[in-house]
Amino acid sequence: MTQPDDAETRWRALVQSETRGRFADTARTPAGLEVKALYTAQDLEGVAHLDSVPGEAPFVRGVRATMYATRPWTLRQYAGFSTPEETNAFFRRALKAGQRGLSVAFDLPTHRGYDSDDPRVKGDVGKAGVAVSSVEDMKLVFDGIPLAEVSVSMTMNGAVLPVLAAFIVTAEEQGVGLEQLSGTIQNDILKEFMVRNTFIYPPEPSMRIVADVMELVSQKLPRYNSISISGYHMQEAGASAELELGYTLADGLAYASAGVARGLDPDAVLGTLSFFFGVGLDFFGEIAKLRAARLLWAELVKERFAPKNPRSLSLRTHCQTSGVSLTAQDPLNNVVRTTLEALSAVLGGTQSLHTNAYDEALALPGERSARVARNTQLILQHETGIPKVVDPLAGSYYVERLTHDLAASARQLVLEVEAHGGMTRAIEQRIPQRRIAQAAAERQARIDRSEELVIGVNAFRVPDEPEPELLVVDTARVLEAQSARLARVRKNRDENRVQALLAALEAGARGSENLLTLSIEAMRARATVGEVSLALERAFGRHNEVSMATTGVFSKAYAGDAEWSAVVELLRRVSEREGRQPRILIAKLGQDGHDRGAKVVAAGLSDLGFDVELGPLFQSPEQAARHALESDVHFVGVSTQAGAHLVLVPELLDELRKLGAGGVRVVVGGIISAPDRAALEARGVSAVFGPGAPILEIARQLLELFEGVPEAGSA
Amino acid sequence: MSARHPLVAGVRAGDRRALSRAITLVESRRGDDSEQAAALLAELYPATGRALRVGVTGAPGVGKSTLLDALGMQAVAAGGRVGVLSIDPSSQLRGGSLLGDRVRMARLSSSDAAFIRASPSGGASGGLGPRTREALVLLEAAGFDPIFVESVGVGQGELAVTEVCDLVMVVQIGGAGDEVQGMKRGLLEHADLVVFNKADGPQAAATERAARELASLLEWMRPGQSRVELVSALEGRGIDGLYRALLEERARLTESGELRERRRAQRRSWLSQALEELVIARQSRDPELDRARRELERAVEEGELAPPLAARQLLEPDKASSTSGGA
Repeated sequence: MTQPDDAETRWRALVQSETRGRFADTARTPAGLEVKALYTAQDLEGVAHLDSVPGEAPFVRGVRATMYATRPWTLRQYAGFSTPEETNAFFRRALKAGQRGLSVAFDLPTHRGYDSDDPRVKGDVGKAGVAVSSVEDMKLVFDGIPLAEVSVSMTMNGAVLPVLAAFIVTAEEQGVGLEQLSGTIQNDILKEFMVRNTFIYPPEPSMRIVADVMELVSQKLPRYNSISISGYHMQEAGASAELELGYTLADGLAYASAGVARGLDPDAVLGTLSFFFGVGLDFFGEIAKLRAARLLWAELVKERFAPKNPRSLSLRTHCQTSGVSLTAQDPLNNVVRTTLEALSAVLGGTQSLHTNAYDEALALPGERSARVARNTQLILQHETGIPKVVDPLAGSYYVERLTHDLAASARQLVLEVEAHGGMTRAIEQRIPQRRIAQAAAERQARIDRSEELVIGVNAFRVPDEPEPELLVVDTARVLEAQSARLARVRKNRDENRVQALLAALEAGARGSENLLTLSIEAMRARATVGEVSLALERAFGRHNEVSMATTGVFSKAYAGDAEWSAVVELLRRVSEREGRQPRILIAKLGQDGHDRGAKVVAAGLSDLGFDVELGPLFQSPEQAARHALESDVHFVGVSTQAGAHLVLVPELLDELRKLGAGGVRVVVGGIISAPDRAALEARGVSAVFGPGAPILEIARQLLELFEGVPEAGSA
Repeated sequence: MSARHPLVAGVRAGDRRALSRAITLVESRRGDDSEQAAALLAELYPATGRALRVGVTGAPGVGKSTLLDALGMQAVAAGGRVGVLSIDPSSQLRGGSLLGDRVRMARLSSSDAAFIRASPSGGASGGLGPRTREALVLLEAAGFDPIFVESVGVGQGELAVTEVCDLVMVVQIGGAGDEVQGMKRGLLEHADLVVFNKADGPQAAATERAARELASLLEWMRPGQSRVELVSALEGRGIDGLYRALLEERARLTESGELRERRRAQRRSWLSQALEELVIARQSRDPELDRARRELERAVEEGELAPPLAARQLLEPDKASSTSGGA
């Protein structure tokens, strides 16, 4: 037991004399955690997991007894762009350069279930990932790569059926048995509805597809993970560590229940689940988050499913360093950020890791930046000695307390979700979406106000930085190559057979047959991703949804701020002259569903006094122009994260002109390289904003576009 | 009558751009714009008054916009040109707003036979915007019929739709508990149709039960005057029946003469509102009155003078002097 003059009391006395009482003994970390300035042995009271060892439930110290001491984590870089051939070449080079597993990024049309030659998706083909429309494309992606040896993870959710089917057929045609395939399909549709928005069908049939995949994988692909339950995208969308943890595990429980409800054995279901967390710059918070995830998952699974195999309680996870922590400004700083995040992931005990490239806030990674990203992990593995000791931070007063507290608060979120009838219901009621959007807006407001410093962005800026060299995808060439191959595929196949299999798939979707089995047959006969998706869409419908931004966060954060008041005053003068509030349509064009930026900007501008129209996701330039016209907006603000702006924004300008609304100003915000910025401005875009541009700056620039507004004081 | 306004021809021809600019003009708070708005109205108003106007109200999250998308497409399929005015709340503090209804009207917003305009409530009470009536006239002049007016939908007191529409449709969901029923009771008394949405998925049974209960309650409250419809906007079920019910209700109201009565009352209340606005506008335009008002304001703020007496002193100084002695 502690003595009267215990460590904390003695320390407080010292603090008093050192600072004369001017000291706040608690603080808030970047991931939103409340922490104390000092932790002592006293903080370990009530922490129950301290005696556990690695490899043993609740696995808080690691899922394997020896962890990295015998085998380091899997270096698995997420990659893919342009044509299947180019992605294949990239993969082969990466494997030669020390990468252990592959992780495929698909382009947005593939995610949304459209073939490359679909007119709706021009501009997005090959941009944010590789274009895969048929088995022939998939075979090229893995040409010369032995699927029996290399584990392959695929980020695919909406179009999971045709894409996983194409992968399975590719393995068959390579002569690889299904039991030999290892890797993971993301197949996490709940977080798509929550934050990432690359869904295709409504929630209910989508959950059925998830369960169909789980069922077939657990029966036929024993070494393969049928879901990667992802918190990463929640963190990217602005969730705090606690929200990411709680909602991810709640998603996990929903999937496990769906599998068990199918009549599958709980051990078989739990064995095919894996997780995927984001790791940001909250160094200790992220370590504690991964440890807490294992601890809480073991407890929850034990309570709810009582599996027989103790390994079923273990949470295995992939991690990726944070994309939103990267800055477009002074991009080499991102190497440092990524290194720290990678270290967190390793100290937290991840099973595999992706490290971001330093130029990803500007464009897709180039050859050189991809190498540095890979080497970051190789240096951690081979030059630091860190992997030699299992769970080196165990016993740290701070880390153990944080682990305990995070698990406890995440458990509350899990219980709240369950009280609302489970995750699908909670998402329908927009509970997680609202929480995450609010956290995102609050964080942005803190950064805008320099309460949190981001080096090179709101502090220590470099006046004239040189432009880094960037990878540019020639969309027109990708589209041409893809269209030609699709034409060949359609010409050389047995058309009657394909149509019969697609009809069988549609009938299966209306009935209860396993849809992955039916999709494999259709894809084997060379149906395309678009055709399989359409057959399912006929039965299920296509889902359209958007979660609204929250209001009030910015005006609260800026209460009493002089700069804020100055912009509000400028706005007042503008609206007096215009006879109405300045009005802006915030549009997401094309297949890019990343809407954190759009929602944060919408919230901020409406708090300042703009009338903000939030457009639907996946709007075409034509639809956006008509929306702008009917709403008679002053501005259209296009938010772009996936590189299609050079095609879609000029089309928007043309459409506006065609409708006689050429007076509407178009501004663009998001991930935009310097050459793209110049090209957009040359086409008539009025302003371009980088990722994370402060709201006040955006608002001021917009308001200054109004001409002839009287000066202050002439009210 | 003033010279022909340049937007008149465009609006009459159903030109989207002209209609959109015209709505901005009538909504404008600028004094010179209001002159133009009056000129526009003078020319367009006489030919209107025949389109079907349907008010749509209900609590947030009941699926009003999704329902309008489905119902609007039904009307388009039946040969209608559909206008939608949807009102969202403005912030009291800064006047800004977040307008997101169109997001849930994906099909209608791409239809050539539809026009959707979202407007901020701009501080008006009752669930509509200050110029919803004028916008309705413009939409009708541009050939849109039927026209749906979607109110803010934040709960109590959203009776303004009853003052501008032929029919009022209250959207509900089942299983939302008694509080919704209680809260909306005032509105239910004015509902021509109560639509239970989301009769799908796991809530289907609860929704059906709620619809039955409400139907018998309404039958007791207002025998034969309101109908209850069950739909799933998401799955598109019950939408054709709902559209038919709207037309039947209108026919019934027309035959009974009630529609004519409603429109007469609505025009009277529009006149009252216009008079109030004009009096206030005139007062603030008159420098002498404005100065007098500022002086009186101080006494009012301090609680020395009752506000109604101050108003009388300002506008009817002769009468007021005889009554203001005891302030």
